[in-house]
Amino acid sequence: MKNTVTINEKDLIAREKLNNPSFAKTIWREIIHDKMAIISLILLIIILATAYLSPLFIDQVALKRVNFLNTWKAPSAANWLGTDDGGRDVFGQLMIGARNSFTIGIAVTLIAGVVGLSYGLISGFYGGHVDNVMMRFLEFMMVLPTTMFIIVLVTIIPNYNVVSFILILSIFAWLGKARLIRSRALQERELDYINASKTLGTPSWKIMFFEMFPNLSSLVIVNMTLTLAGNIGIETGLTFLGYGLPAGTPSLGTLVAFARNPDIVQNKWWVWLPAALLILVMMLCINYVGQAIKRASDARQRLA
Amino acid sequence: MSLLTVNDLKVHYPIRGGFFRRVVDHVRAVDGISFELQPGETYGLVGESGCGKTTSGRAIIGLNKSTGGEMLFEGKDLAKMGRAERYKHTKDIQMIFQDPYSSLNGRKNVLNIIAEPLRNFERLSPKEELLRVQELVARVGLSPESIYKYPHQFSGGQRQRIGIARALALNPKLIIADEPVSALDVSVQAQVLNFMQEIQKDFNLTYLFISHDLGIIQHMCDRIGIMYRGRFVEEGTADEIYNNPQHVYTKRLIAAIPEMNPEKRFEKMHLRQSINEEYQTGYNNYFDKDGRMFDLKKISESHSVAMQ
Ligand SMILES: Nc1ncnc2c1ncn2[C@@H]1O[C@H](COP(=O)(O)OP(=O)(O)OP(=O)(O)O)[C@@H](O)[C@H]1O
Ligand SMILES: [Mg+2]
Repeated sequence: MKNTVTINEKDLIAREKLNNPSFAKTIWREIIHDKMAIISLILLIIILATAYLSPLFIDQVALKRVNFLNTWKAPSAANWLGTDDGGRDVFGQLMIGARNSFTIGIAVTLIAGVVGLSYGLISGFYGGHVDNVMMRFLEFMMVLPTTMFIIVLVTIIPNYNVVSFILILSIFAWLGKARLIRSRALQERELDYINASKTLGTPSWKIMFFEMFPNLSSLVIVNMTLTLAGNIGIETGLTFLGYGLPAGTPSLGTLVAFARNPDIVQNKWWVWLPAALLILVMMLCINYVGQAIKRASDARQRLA
Repeated sequence: MSLLTVNDLKVHYPIRGGFFRRVVDHVRAVDGISFELQPGETYGLVGESGCGKTTSGRAIIGLNKSTGGEMLFEGKDLAKMGRAERYKHTKDIQMIFQDPYSSLNGRKNVLNIIAEPLRNFERLSPKEELLRVQELVARVGLSPESIYKYPHQFSGGQRQRIGIARALALNPKLIIADEPVSALDVSVQAQVLNFMQEIQKDFNLTYLFISHDLGIIQHMCDRIGIMYRGRFVEEGTADEIYNNPQHVYTKRLIAAIPEMNPEKRFEKMHLRQSINEEYQTGYNNYFDKDGRMFDLKKISESHSVAMQ
């Protein structure tokens, strides 16, 4: 083999990276060029870091202990955000609740992402009859009244806990994604690089997940970020209605749920208002970051 | 024995319409074509846009289903093969695609692109694989460091070479080249074509060369089939087609090649006019009452024409 020259791989790869910025780099550039996005990202990191690190500082057993001598206390040095009907510290619950709500949102988004992606890829890649059958099933699922079904499932499931709650939410969260991915996959399958892979003997599942998927990945990332906010919202909304997390698991929804009582809404704002504000801020932040990622995925919209 | 024998190949696409999307008619994209490829030769498929050249090529390689006829590859019918058996022949038949921009996955570097077929068919260690890819890259005339680059960093001609290297990786016997240079600049076309002829000798390849450019076909092909609306109108050696065209459609195609010599322009114009007259007066000799071509009829050992 006299023609082959040994080459310095690392050097080449480094040079390669420089003139061919990866998607992650583009996202980063887009975020630092957008003031709202960078502020949102920092705020989000602070909120999440506090929430996820809080168990180190908060005594969770004490948090659940009912203390009737200490109910409905207004904010003070001992209880930064006061206490609730059981004399429990609201600030502690807010932190643990934010953590739970966010974890649920992320879990639902990920599960829905994986399921929706696979479903959409398969449907779009094969097209024809496969696509037809799969899309009819999807349409059937989509016309079901989501909230009602979740409520029914929540009430009839025997041992109901956080995991089953996540799964129930996921049942309905993947539908839109599957549709989105499928329409892009239908376009992509007409391109010759897919045909080339077929003629080179690459198995279909490999074509779907290793050839097609990388070309759709930006779409998936954008969509997942934007739906993350929505999924946190669904969780809190359901908990507010009383069909969310099992009792005893604090979430942002359980705190907001205090606002069902007009007396609390008016006179004991410290119980529900911080949670409501936190939801608002988190959703806005995720949305701003999501918008930046979305712009990064489309060269025509970029600011950077 | 011929490498590939195509017998009465048909590809019909259903047209759906009306209530319940019933099949109301068919697009006869390819409507009964027959030809043979001898090992080592280049067979040209020419015709106007939409006459079914791509569809024929894709049917042979298995990208779309044929609806009739047979395709015998070394004596075995590709159309009737089961999936597993067809898979074994993947190595033997490869394709070079028309568009060098969409035929390479932009998310993969050259190493991964060229190694894809090797990973499917051969168990190689990463080291062996790298050596094989470097060899192929050198063979198609790209610099060794290009294997870590991405497709968008190459020119059209270079990309087409990457596509060729990928098709060569499995040492195929037959390569279907679907307008391999029509997306390239004229200055690069000759380069890629000459290169294809070079590797044909080295690898002992048989080409099915699809094009609508008669100049390129003349340069590349030993034998030529002229297609029109999914059927053959004439078949013969390059010499016979260019110097002794029989069918009026072939004559018109050849008369349409631009004339570079200004002194011969007038001559050419008269030729075109006379062919046009022949087309009008002799229409019934070439097309039946439905406007369909007749079956091919031999007029010499190698030359056949679709005439009454
Ligand atoms: N999937 C399809 N469904 C229906 N009709 C089709 C389909 N694919 C191709 N056709 C029809 O088949 C005919 C032949 O198409 P084909 O792509 O083979 O033409 P071509 O000779 O390669 O033309 P060009 O030189 O423009 O590439 C066209 O009339 C086209 O409309
Ligand atoms: Mg074509």
